[in-house]
Amino acid sequence: MVEAQLVLTALMGLFLAGVAVWLSRIEDWRSYTPLAGGGGAVGEESGYAHNEKPSGLIRWLTTVDHKDIGILYGVYSIIAFAVGGIMVILMRTELLTPDEAIIGSQFYNSLLTSHGITMLFLFGTPMIAAFGNYFIPLLVNAEDMAFPRINAIAFWMLPPGALLVWAGFLVVPFTDIQPAQTAWTLYTPLSAGVGTGTQAGVSGLGIDFMLLGLHFTGLSATMGAINFIATIFTDRGSDVNWANLDIFSWTMLTQSGLILFAFPLLGSALIMLLLDRNFGTTFFLAEGGGPILWQHLFWFFGHPEVYILALPPMGLVSFILPKFSGRKLFGFKFVVYSTLAIGVLSFGVWAHHMFATGIDPRIRASFEAVSLAIAIPSAVKVFNWTTTLWGGNLRLTAPMLFCVGAVSNFIFGGVTGVFTAAIPIDLVLHDTYYIVGHFHYILMGLLAFTVFAGIYYWFPIITGKMYQKRLAKWHFWLTMIGTNITFFAMLLLGYLGMPRRYATYTFGVGPQQIIEVLHQVTTLGAFILLVGQIIWVWNMIQSWYEAPTLQDNDPWDLKETGQFTNEWGWNERRLETAIADGGEEEEATMTDGGDPVDGSADAE
Amino acid sequence: MDDQPGLSDQYRMSSPWPLIVVLGLLFSELGLLFNVFPVAVGGLLLFVGAIAGIVLESGYADRPWNLLAGLGVALCVLGALVTVTQLDSVTLDAITTVVGQPNGIVGRGVELLIAGIVSVVIGAGGRVAESESI
Repeated sequence: MVEAQLVLTALMGLFLAGVAVWLSRIEDWRSYTPLAGGGGAVGEESGYAHNEKPSGLIRWLTTVDHKDIGILYGVYSIIAFAVGGIMVILMRTELLTPDEAIIGSQFYNSLLTSHGITMLFLFGTPMIAAFGNYFIPLLVNAEDMAFPRINAIAFWMLPPGALLVWAGFLVVPFTDIQPAQTAWTLYTPLSAGVGTGTQAGVSGLGIDFMLLGLHFTGLSATMGAINFIATIFTDRGSDVNWANLDIFSWTMLTQSGLILFAFPLLGSALIMLLLDRNFGTTFFLAEGGGPILWQHLFWFFGHPEVYILALPPMGLVSFILPKFSGRKLFGFKFVVYSTLAIGVLSFGVWAHHMFATGIDPRIRASFEAVSLAIAIPSAVKVFNWTTTLWGGNLRLTAPMLFCVGAVSNFIFGGVTGVFTAAIPIDLVLHDTYYIVGHFHYILMGLLAFTVFAGIYYWFPIITGKMYQKRLAKWHFWLTMIGTNITFFAMLLLGYLGMPRRYATYTFGVGPQQIIEVLHQVTTLGAFILLVGQIIWVWNMIQSWYEAPTLQDNDPWDLKETGQFTNEWGWNERRLETAIADGGEEEEATMTDGGDPVDGSADAE
Repeated sequence: MDDQPGLSDQYRMSSPWPLIVVLGLLFSELGLLFNVFPVAVGGLLLFVGAIAGIVLESGYADRPWNLLAGLGVALCVLGALVTVTQLDSVTLDAITTVVGQPNGIVGRGVELLIAGIVSVVIGAGGRVAESESI
């Protein structure tokens, strides 16, 4: 034991010395490297070579440029999306048959827990921050984020957070530590170490790791939110005011406000749970604060989190949809008001997750009222989107398809949510697949769809290239069909009484044969989604590396309808400056060869 | 940053400190939670050092030493508070008993205290060594 401590001390000392050496080398570069010399391979290929940055890997480790950090956020989130996706494919494969046949219930429970956490905290929240980081400063004409270094800190919190969340899986081959098996809601007393399974003792370290990882992602989100608020309030250009602030920035601002109030509470609750688990406190034990306290604290964060994940995607739809409808967003003001209304109301609905816990019926009734009320601003948005489309000159490009798909899915997800806001219906459907289908219609159907829309829409700015149109259409249709098969079948499974979170369904809850068929249909849908996403990743990587450099400053013909917004203006200035300077862009244009892939909006 | 003599505005786009701040916080939390002495102390030192470094680099301070010492004092106070919660009474005997047979919580308090003391020493030392005015 003493020897292990000594070895660890020596290792830590070496690590600190390594950091010191690395720091001195970086300082050396910054003091003495002449400005000429250019960026490394990565920088040049992505069109982001800034001579004021170091080259190669060091550039990405030390960058405080909002665009670089946006790309880092994006790449990180897509990796997390892939990990979460592979997890769910394994789970859906297990559910092809009613009995425990392929991966076993323990591993299934671990995957179930990590899939939820991964998709919400490691994919959803950071992916939105990716768009925010890259485009908010451009949209509001700021030079950078208000606090560039805090921005970088916020990003670098995420990779260790992810490693800790997944730590159970990473160490399971070498130790007896198991991944957490608590489901993403981490309900006490299970997560506090009570009960059998992997919750207590050495094997329960997986939960401690996960809590710590979550704590890191929470810190990251909070720092990011402070940065967005400060940027939008104080760093706007002289031509951007509250009256002409774009809708995406409005939703990011509201979302950051929600993060500011919700995430610190999650952080505190996580620390309380860690203290319960490791230091003998009794915050969430029956003899102390009681297990229901956890649910209150968790959902006071957790429900705003739903809107943290939904408002910016709604902003993306409101932002992108009009560009391909040939007209401005219908009722802009009311879309902003509905965003703010959702932001406020989102803090008054949390106990609708707890209708079945036996809390006071009068409290339940008030939460039912607010939960039903929040449908109104949500519906305002849907009607405004529909009215924007009405009579418009629609162009069904990939970003537009994903926006329209998102609106359609959001209607499914939203309407199913209104039903469960009613206490009597919720008591029947609580903890069934109906709930899983409902929130996946929002998270996959709205969040992921708008993420795809945003990536396709801004791909020309981020990469200087155009994606491959045919592959993007394949991606859309496979995703749209896959989403609706998967999650509609889940709604039906819920109606039949199939409980969520189970690795098996050999127990008699309903018509066994129909349940089995519906599970197989759900799995089929998941595989369709997998194929669609593989096509998407291929399209993104191949187009980034191999597509010809785009020569059109206005690939979506936004000038025609007077919707050439600030970020495209910035892109145009960047390209023109590069050509005037005799920079890389000009070279690329002159030496460019090959067939256009999806070169201009005319082709769209 | 831009007005620092001899350096161009290349500084704006790149900084090594954010990554180090995160590593410091990561090792501090891991070390304190799992009560691993070298990781906790090393992590805390890295964390407070990186905060002093990033504040210096951002131009909010001319020198890192005061902040480093100040953060060291904060760690000492925190460590003392954590340790004091384990005392039956604030007497020398009680302190001897607890230090003689430390439990997990005292261990964490001591980790905080030692990291704090080292930071104060480095901060004070730096102040003395660089005592001429800028």
